[in-house]
Amino acid sequence: MIRITLVCAAGVSTSLLVSKMNIAASQMNIDAIIKATAENNFGKYADHTDVLMLGPQVSYLLADAKSRYEHLGIHVTVISKEDYTSLNGEKVLKDALALAK
Amino acid sequence: MDMEKATMQLIVNSGDARSKAMEAIESAKAGDFDDADQKIQSADEALSKAHESQASIIQAEAAGEIKRMTLLMAHAQDHLMCAIAILDVAKEFIALYRKIQPSGSEKTGGNNSK
Repeated sequence: MIRITLVCAAGVSTSLLVSKMNIAASQMNIDAIIKATAENNFGKYADHTDVLMLGPQVSYLLADAKSRYEHLGIHVTVISKEDYTSLNGEKVLKDALALAK
Repeated sequence: MDMEKATMQLIVNSGDARSKAMEAIESAKAGDFDDADQKIQSADEALSKAHESQASIIQAEAAGEIKRMTLLMAHAQDHLMCAIAILDVAKEFIALYRKIQPSGSEKTGGNNSK
């Protein structure tokens, strides 16, 4: 089972992508818990996250998030602008899976 | 016109402008003004793209192509406004850092302070 948390400024646009990722996960038969939250709220999710994915609009948080969470074993990455704009749930899910390998 | 995609583009490009503006402030704080200027330029470019997305949405509305207003559209507008404000403020911050810390006097490279 993989636990993926998406983070953006308010958790609004990422929640759209999460719903697409959940559809992709069930189609691909992957056991995943995918959630979206606001950047200032991620601390609550850190204990339940394997992969932290930042929306491209908060990419400036990458260095900070890496220094805070990578040593806890959480993989941290930024979602590409193309995948985010097109809400490509399958591609983003695959990226998360590749990162957690 | 794919309204969801145009709206997401507005969010992403606005957010990109905001991210670059924030990074520019960090660079200026660390004394790297060349990098700060470069990031401000990237932020300006991203903001132009955001304005293009916004213009296309407004044109679609004027042409009667938008049947209903969504919360996501309002949220995208929120992102744009935030990006414009932060970019303006970032330029002022960099000017201030330039005054109190002339170029080349110090390069700490640290950007994780919060």
